[in-house]
Amino acid sequence: MSRVTIDGVAVDVAPGATILDAARAAGVWVPTLCFDARQAAFGACRVCLVGVEGAPAPLPACTTPCRDGMAVDTEDPTARRVAHAVVELVLSELPQPPAPHTELAQVAERLDVGEPRWPGETHAPALPDTRHPYLAFRHELCISCGRCVRACDEVQGTFALAATGRGFGANVAAGLDEGFRDSACVSCGACADTCPTDAITEVSLLGIMEPSA
Amino acid sequence: MNLPGATVTTTTCGYCGVGCRLEAHALDGRIATIAPALDGPANLGHTCLKGRFAHQFSRHRQRLTTPLIRDARDGELRPAAWDEAIERIAAELGRIRAAHGPDAIAGLASSRATNEDCYAMQRLMRAAIGTNNIDNCSRVCHSPTSYALRRSLGLSGATGSFADFDRAGATILIGANPTEGHPVVGARIKQATLRGMQLVTIDPRRIELADYGVLHLAPRPGTNAAVLLGIAHVLERDGFVERAFVDARTDGWDAFAELLAAYAPDEVSEITGVPAADLERAAHVYGEAADACIAWGLGVTEHKYGSEVVQLICNVALMTGKVGRPGSALLPLRGQNNVQGSSDMGALPDTYTAYRSVTDEAVARSFEDAWGVPLSRAVGLKIPQMFDAAITGELKAMYIFGEDVAQTDPNTAHVVHALESLDFLVVQDIFENETTRYADVILPASSFLEKSGTFTNAERRVQLVAPAIDPPGEARTDFEIIKAVARALGHELPWETPADAMDEIAALTPDWAGISHARLGRSGLQWPVAPDGTDAPILYEREFTLPGGRAHFAPLPYKAPGDAADDEFPLILVTGRRLQHYNAGTMTRRTGNVELVGADVLEIHPDDAAHLWISEGETISVRSRVGRIELPAHVTDRIEPGHVFTTFHFPETRTNLLVGASADVNTSCPEYKVVAVDVRPLGEEPARTPALASGA
Repeated sequence: MSRVTIDGVAVDVAPGATILDAARAAGVWVPTLCFDARQAAFGACRVCLVGVEGAPAPLPACTTPCRDGMAVDTEDPTARRVAHAVVELVLSELPQPPAPHTELAQVAERLDVGEPRWPGETHAPALPDTRHPYLAFRHELCISCGRCVRACDEVQGTFALAATGRGFGANVAAGLDEGFRDSACVSCGACADTCPTDAITEVSLLGIMEPSA
Repeated sequence: MNLPGATVTTTTCGYCGVGCRLEAHALDGRIATIAPALDGPANLGHTCLKGRFAHQFSRHRQRLTTPLIRDARDGELRPAAWDEAIERIAAELGRIRAAHGPDAIAGLASSRATNEDCYAMQRLMRAAIGTNNIDNCSRVCHSPTSYALRRSLGLSGATGSFADFDRAGATILIGANPTEGHPVVGARIKQATLRGMQLVTIDPRRIELADYGVLHLAPRPGTNAAVLLGIAHVLERDGFVERAFVDARTDGWDAFAELLAAYAPDEVSEITGVPAADLERAAHVYGEAADACIAWGLGVTEHKYGSEVVQLICNVALMTGKVGRPGSALLPLRGQNNVQGSSDMGALPDTYTAYRSVTDEAVARSFEDAWGVPLSRAVGLKIPQMFDAAITGELKAMYIFGEDVAQTDPNTAHVVHALESLDFLVVQDIFENETTRYADVILPASSFLEKSGTFTNAERRVQLVAPAIDPPGEARTDFEIIKAVARALGHELPWETPADAMDEIAALTPDWAGISHARLGRSGLQWPVAPDGTDAPILYEREFTLPGGRAHFAPLPYKAPGDAADDEFPLILVTGRRLQHYNAGTMTRRTGNVELVGADVLEIHPDDAAHLWISEGETISVRSRVGRIELPAHVTDRIEPGHVFTTFHFPETRTNLLVGASADVNTSCPEYKVVAVDVRPLGEEPARTPALASGA
């Protein structure tokens, strides 16, 4: 066991526990975006950065193991400024604000990210890809967090989804982009369940959950 | 998921026996979406396409929404009021009981329904009618598992939990295709193999998980016993017997060891077609692992000697001491959501709750005292015996609840003849189906999304079921219907809610003493549950539940299956399931799943297809000793040459016309897995479909 303090609250954690595990055990909220407890920690988005006493710069809570005596400040100003900027950059690429029920919208609201300050290029709105009876792609909402790809690999074990493109064109595809139905997909829906933006969602929800804009 | 305006209900999936916990989101009285519960102990935040997406059937326009009555035998069904339908049932069953005695009536409880529904149904048959003629569809799937586990180890259930796959160094998977039949467990096994668990698959088909294992054995259908005896032979020969465990905790080893001499790998190879080297390697993979599991499905049980094969599986685990600790478990993959529970609840012709015999005087007395009526000590009829008795005229009436026997039971022509021979048939279901064609009264019931109670999964885990939506129209919950029928028959079932029924079950059943709805909470409990609520994720840690606390080795030799290929019927048909559909397809055929898979097909190896001049997608004729069907061919090397495979998800295929009367010698579980057939292109021979008596 190691003892760490999260915002002054002492918690005992098992060997191998991360700062995020400790924060959740202490009941302290840490923003996350690419994290899903069903998958191995990925550490890609940098939204979960926290301040650690003695560390030269903020550390990602989801991949940093706890060390005995570690003192963590989840509201470290540098960490929060980075998290805010990351979420703001993500929003700045979307053609519309994310729907309120999505994890992205909830993290943005909690971090008080409003209208993005950078009015650059946004993904072009497109019709949803509804070739599958249940699963729909809305590629313009993809933020390349990789959660769907990892759900397909680590939760289901079907390896039907892949990251595609690079830079602004980064996205996801089923198989060689032949759609869910004609790929190896087994329709389990783990991708839609984990997607924080509705880039993969259910066909039957398309009508119900139009984004607020 | 936060759907504006939706109500969220945590419940347990009503498809397979994995027992996924689900969050059902309802909007305007319909299911809008279903997500996995992150804390579900069996599913760990995952589900398959059936649990997650296949819910539109719940508001399908074909749902039964009012009772239906047929006034004359060949007449049309007409809508009726509940009072009229219940009165008709009470009058007819009363008349038949008065004229022919209570044993002229039989009932079927449903492995799709809750424990409380099944308990109510068996109490109705035993206390309100006065007969032990009560059975459930575990008869046609895992009754051999139940029989064998009780004889070899003591209790009728998995010895461990799905979590044991995560801890095992190796697993033997025999006669099961979990990535299609139990997808969430299939995914769990696959993830375990990706982390390094050594998987041996044994199946006539090259199932998906075979690609992730270290070894795949493809024995001839019906030769599982020889495979297991061969593995046991090698385990014994090469020093994997755990003598201390065998001496301290088991009986009968010497007789079994003597038998093994005859099953050297070369001999077994002759019987099974499995190379001797593969048998040796399978035994070593299992024997060398510090902890290992064996999991099986209907490919083991649905055979003439299915129950004996399960006893041999137990022997393999016992001789190596691989049972009763984390990572070493025997895990039958139970088919339906509550096939474990419906049998636990005593919906069987020979046992009350928790498999206590109806001939046990003390047990029978305890139920007589609780129910206030005298109870029969005579063992009742099993499902196949019910059909035989209906044809001979001894059985006059049946009350079938939640089972489409005319589609799913073997030898369809025989089943239909039996149903037509009855004086009176009540069917309680959510849709009209093949069986309701012969019903005099049809009662509109509820799906799992519309009722409360509990299901028991394949890990013996009793989990809460809660209603997310209301039953459609005038449909009622099965619990309410059975209560109303019992009352009309003069026996009051004294419970307001299913929770009250569970309290009665707990009071009358020592293994369920600590179970109550309040205590089950979000994660459920694995029986046996002590009065203080302590449950049992692992059985037999210290002793077995047999006399003296010792497990039993059954010295069972290999015996040939009930059917064999010959000149007239040169191929062996195996029947099974596909991922996209569930059993009779009653639910999944009424969802978007039909867009993914819309018909049954016959899988045939490319060599056989070429030899028979059969091409992909062509409609072909399949004829067995008892029937003939037509369906499209699918040419694939997933199946071995000499074998063909199909499913029975679509009633128009009528696959079970092909399956004969051969059944497990101990439990009457039908031999769905070994049917000798003749396969040829259409038009080569005149159609010989046996006409059903109804012309239906």
